[in-house]
Amino acid sequence: MRYRVTHRTTYSGADPVSVGHNQAWLEFRECDRQQVQSFSLQITPEPSVKTRRVDAFGNPVHMFSFSEGYQRLEVAAVTVVAVQADNSAAIAAATGTTREQLQTRTSRQDPWLAEAQEFVWPSPRVVWTRDIEAWAAECFPADRPLLAGLQELTARINAEFTYDAGATTVHTPVQQAFQLKRGVCQDFAHLQLAMLRSLGIPARYISGYLRTIPPPGRPRLVGADASHAWLSAYVGNGHWLELDPTNNQMCLSDHIVLAWGRDYSDVPPVTGVFVGGGGHRLAVSVDVLPLDP
Amino acid sequence: MTSGPTSGQRTEQIFPCPPHVYNELQTAAGHFRSHWHRFLQIFRSVPPQELARRHRQAERMLRENGVSYHSVVSGGEGARPWRLDLLPMLMGAPEWGILERGLAQRARLLNELIADIYGPRRLVQQGILPAPLLYANPEFLRPFMDLHRPGGMPLFLYAAELARRTDGQWCVMADRSEAPAGPGFALENRIVSSRAMPGGFKQIPVERLAPFFVRLQNSLRRRSSRPLEQPRTVLLSSGPSHPYYFEDVYLARYLGYTMVEGGDLTVRADNVYMKTLSGLVPVDIILSRCAESGLDPLELGSNSEHGVPGILNAMRCGNVTIVNTPGCGITGAPVFMSCLPRLCEHLLGEDLQLPSIPTWWCGNPEDLALVLDRLPELVLKPAFQKSGGEEILCSELSATERSDWQRRLQREPWFWVAQEKIARSGTPVWTESGIRCGHVALRAFLVEDEQRWHLMPGGLIRIAPDAGPMQLSVAGGDSSKDLWVLAEGRVEAVTLLTPHDQPAELRRTTALFPSRVADNLFWLGRALDRCDFLARLVRALAERLAGEGGAEAAEVRFLTRALCEQGQLEPGFAVEGMDSQLPELAETLPAAVFDPAEYGGLARSVRDLTRLASLVRDWISPDTWQRVNAAAESFRATPARDWRDLADVVSATSGLIGDCASISGLIADGMNRGPSWRFLELGRSIERAASTARLLMTADLRKAAGSPVLKTLIEVLDVRMTYRFRYRENLQRNAVLDLAITDETNPRSLAFQVERLVQHVDRLPGISSQPLRSADMRLVMEAAHAVRMLTADDLSSGPLRNVLAALKTVEDAMLKLSDTLTSRYLVHSGNAVHAMPGREGV
Repeated sequence: MRYRVTHRTTYSGADPVSVGHNQAWLEFRECDRQQVQSFSLQITPEPSVKTRRVDAFGNPVHMFSFSEGYQRLEVAAVTVVAVQADNSAAIAAATGTTREQLQTRTSRQDPWLAEAQEFVWPSPRVVWTRDIEAWAAECFPADRPLLAGLQELTARINAEFTYDAGATTVHTPVQQAFQLKRGVCQDFAHLQLAMLRSLGIPARYISGYLRTIPPPGRPRLVGADASHAWLSAYVGNGHWLELDPTNNQMCLSDHIVLAWGRDYSDVPPVTGVFVGGGGHRLAVSVDVLPLDP
Repeated sequence: MTSGPTSGQRTEQIFPCPPHVYNELQTAAGHFRSHWHRFLQIFRSVPPQELARRHRQAERMLRENGVSYHSVVSGGEGARPWRLDLLPMLMGAPEWGILERGLAQRARLLNELIADIYGPRRLVQQGILPAPLLYANPEFLRPFMDLHRPGGMPLFLYAAELARRTDGQWCVMADRSEAPAGPGFALENRIVSSRAMPGGFKQIPVERLAPFFVRLQNSLRRRSSRPLEQPRTVLLSSGPSHPYYFEDVYLARYLGYTMVEGGDLTVRADNVYMKTLSGLVPVDIILSRCAESGLDPLELGSNSEHGVPGILNAMRCGNVTIVNTPGCGITGAPVFMSCLPRLCEHLLGEDLQLPSIPTWWCGNPEDLALVLDRLPELVLKPAFQKSGGEEILCSELSATERSDWQRRLQREPWFWVAQEKIARSGTPVWTESGIRCGHVALRAFLVEDEQRWHLMPGGLIRIAPDAGPMQLSVAGGDSSKDLWVLAEGRVEAVTLLTPHDQPAELRRTTALFPSRVADNLFWLGRALDRCDFLARLVRALAERLAGEGGAEAAEVRFLTRALCEQGQLEPGFAVEGMDSQLPELAETLPAAVFDPAEYGGLARSVRDLTRLASLVRDWISPDTWQRVNAAAESFRATPARDWRDLADVVSATSGLIGDCASISGLIADGMNRGPSWRFLELGRSIERAASTARLLMTADLRKAAGSPVLKTLIEVLDVRMTYRFRYRENLQRNAVLDLAITDETNPRSLAFQVERLVQHVDRLPGISSQPLRSADMRLVMEAAHAVRMLTADDLSSGPLRNVLAALKTVEDAMLKLSDTLTSRYLVHSGNAVHAMPGREGV
C-alpha cells in the first residue's frame, strides 16, 4: 500500500517571534515494514539554519532555527511511503512465549533483549502505580501465551475507556487518564505502555498515521485526518508486535510509522522554544492519501 | 592544647579522638605522625590568646569577603556564612602520592566510562555494565548521545569525596563529574588561613594551589573548538539564587573569565553569543557550573534559569565547547561505584587502586540477598541520584520500618544501592574553649590537561561532629579546613598573572559587558541614591518629632507629605489637620523605617541595595561590596520591635547616610570610567533628579515662603553649608531655589544632575552613530533645556509658574528615561516560551 502523507503545522501569534529554535520528528524512519519513496520538508519563512540528525532511537530529527523575526511559521512535511506490514513472525513469537519465559530469558538466549530492555523502565510520560499494574495483570495469568494476553489487554482498554478529546490534554499524566477512563490515542498508548512495562514486557511508543476509510457513499475529506499514536510490545527474539488500543487492532498496512521512542516526549512531531510573540495559535492538518486503488 | 611536652611523647592526648576511628595526628601507640612534627613544634610556641585573636581575624576576613554558601538574593539574610577552622589538616608527600595515583586512575576510568555510555554503549551490549544502569536511570539523557566525539575527553574537571576508614585506608564516598563545586572554596580557605596563621608556620613547605588553576586555564584554552589565540571563555553560573553563586563569582574573577547566566547567552545560526551592550559577541568556551539537565530547554524540555535554547546543537555543530561535556554527570550516581573494579579491569586493564566505599546495587540478585541479610548495618541510597541527597541509615530504623524497606527493596531493587556505614577519621579542631575532635571529609579536585590528570595539591576539608555519614556537599559538616600537602623540596611560586616579558595588548574597555549587568548596575545606582535621599528625609522628620516641641508644624507637615509620596508612610498621614496625629506618627515611624515589608520604605531600599550589589559582585570592587554589606548589616542591627524609638531612627539613618557617602566615594575614586560606571551613574543621577524635583514640588513653595520649610529643604538637599557661606542666616526663597535647581556648581542641584545625564547618555553605546537624536537623548535634553531656560525672575516670581513647570518636566523626563533605558539595554530578549506541541489526535 502506498500513501502520500501531508502533515502541516502552523503557528501564528499576535506579536512577532524574535528568536526561535525548533526540532521536528516529521521524517519517516526507515524500517522493515515500509520504505520512504520521497520526502520533503517545507519551512516558511526560510529558517536561518537547518540541520538533520538521527536521535538515540534511530529517528531522523530536523532542527531549524530563526534569527529574524516572524509572525507565522508553517512546517509542511510531504512523504510518499510504501507500506507492506507483516506481523506473522511477531505473532508466531508471541504465541510461543509466556510472560514468565520472556522475563527469565538471558541475553545469551535472546541477543536482542539488551536493546529491548531500554523500553521496560518508567520514562518521562509513562509511570505507573500498583493499581495500573494490578489492572493489567489480570490479562496475563500464568502460562498464558503472550499473544492472548496482549490481545485481551488491548481489547479491554478499548472497551473500558471512552474516546473523549475534551477529557485530556497533551500534558495529562497516565494516572489521571487511568482514573478518568477517558482520553485520546496518545493517552491510551501511554496507558498500555505503562501496563506492559509494569509487568516487565518492554514496549515502545509509536508516532504515526492511520489510513481513514470514509463512511460509505461519502467522499474522503482532504486534511481531516490526524496524527496517531500506538505502541509495540517486545515478544522475544527481536520481534515487536504493534498494537493499537484506540482501534483494538494489531497494526498492519493501515498504520504508517513515523518515529518511535519511550513515549510521546521522545518524538513530538514539532516542538520549539521561542522568544517574543504572544497569543500563539497552533493549527495542525494531516492528510493521508492512499495512492494505490 | 596543653603546653610543654615535646612531640613524640607517648602519653599525651592532644584531642579527644574516639578509639574506633583513625586518628590523623597520632598513632595507636600515641606517637605523633611524622608529618605533624614540625607543625606541632611551631604550634606550641604560639600562646592561646594569640590563636584566639587570629581565629577572630580569619572569621572577620571571611565575613567581609562575603564568603557564603547559599542564596544571596535575599540580601544576605538566610545565607550561611562560611566557617573555617584555624588549624589546617596535614598530609605527607608519600601518602598524598598514593592518593594522587589512585585518583588519576579513577578519573581516567570515569572518562572512559562516560565516553562509552554516551558513545558506542559497548559495555551494555557486552553485558559488562548492566543495562538498567542506563535505561532505568533518569539521568541518562539521550540528547547528549552525539555530543561526544570518538576519542575525546568528555571529563575535564573531576572531584572525589573521600573519607578515611578506621584501618587508615582512604576511600571514595562519591564521584563528582558534572560541575564539581569547591575549588574556589579551597582556594579561599588557603588565602584566609595563610593570612591568619602566625608567621612561624611559613617555614613549613606547603604545596601551592595556584599551579592547579594555571593548568585548568591552559587546558581549557586548548579545548577550544576553533584555533584561536585568545578564545572567548565564559563561566556559566546558575545565578544568585543558587548556593554556589559566591564560588561562581570568586572563580570567574580569579580565572579571568566573564561570568554569565543563561539569559546572557543566545544561540543564532548554531553559534553561541553573549548579549552585550555593544551587540552580540561570539563565545568559544563555556565553563559550566550548572546542572547539565537544564542546559538546553529545547532538547531537554526543562525550563531552568541557566538554560540556553539551541546550545546543544551549537555544540554538536562544533561551534562551542562546554566543559564538563554534558553527560559527564551520570557517573556521579552511586550505582556506578558497585561495578568500578570490574569496569577498571575491562576498560583500563588495571586493578582499581583507590577503593570506593563498599557499594551494592540491589538490582543484582546476589547483591540484594547480601543487602537484605546485612540491612541493619548499611546505608540505603537512591541508585541513580547523584549521592548527597536522600539516604537512609538502617541502624536508626525501627523493626517495622526495616521490614517495610525490605519489601520495598524486593519490589523495586533496581532503584537502590546499599553502602557500608563509614566511620571517618578524627583530627584536631580549634575552638575558643579548647581542642576538639572533628571528623574529616575531603574533597579532592583533578583537571585533565594533555591527556593526563592533575590533582590539586590540597583540597577542601569539611569537619563534622560525628564520624558517621554526612552530607556529601561542599556545605556538609559544620566547619571547613585548609589542607596542607607537605612538599618535598622547594616550593615554586606561581601566579595567574602572565609572565613579565609578555607585554599586554592595551585596552580601554571590556567588550564583554553583559546587558544584564548594565541593568543591575543602573538599579544599584538608583537604590544607592534612594537610600541616601530617604535616610535624609527620615532623619529630618525623626529629629523634629523627637525634639521637645521645637519643630514647627509646617516642617513636620512637609516632611510627612514627602515621605508619604515616597511610599515610606501611609498616605493617611498627609491629610490636613494631621497635627493631632503627631504622637501616632512618632510611634509609627520606627516600624515604617525598619520593616522591610513596607514597599517604598527604607529597609526595603537597603535590601535592594545589597541584593543588587550581590548581583553585580564581579563588577564592583571588593571594598565597595564590603562597604555595602557593612551598611546593610549595621542598618539591620537595630533593636527589636518593642525597644526601638525615634533615637534609633536618627542614629540608624545617620549611619546609613555616612555609609552611602563612603560607598559613593569608593565608586568615584576607584571605579573605572567604563560602561559599568556609566550605568551606575545614570541610575544615581536619574534617581536624584527625579526625587529632588518631586521634593521641591511637594514643598509647595507658592504658599510656603516662610522659613521653616526652606530650612528643611536646605537640610534635606544637603546644601546647608553652601547656603550659610553665601547668605548667612538670611533665608530667601529665590536663593534656596537657585541652589537647589539652577546652580550648576552645586552637585546636589537639578542643573548639575541633568547636565551629567546629558553627558552620560551621549556616551552610551550605539548612540553617537545615529543620524538624529535618540529618544533617550531627547528626554535628557528636554529636562536640561527646562532647567537652563529658567531666569532669575522666574525664581522670585510669586506663583512660580515657570519653576513648577520646569520641575514637572524634569520629573516626567526622568521617569520616561528610566523606561527607555531599561527597554533598550535590558529587555534584549524576553523569556523563552515553549511552543505548545500538538498532541496526537486520533
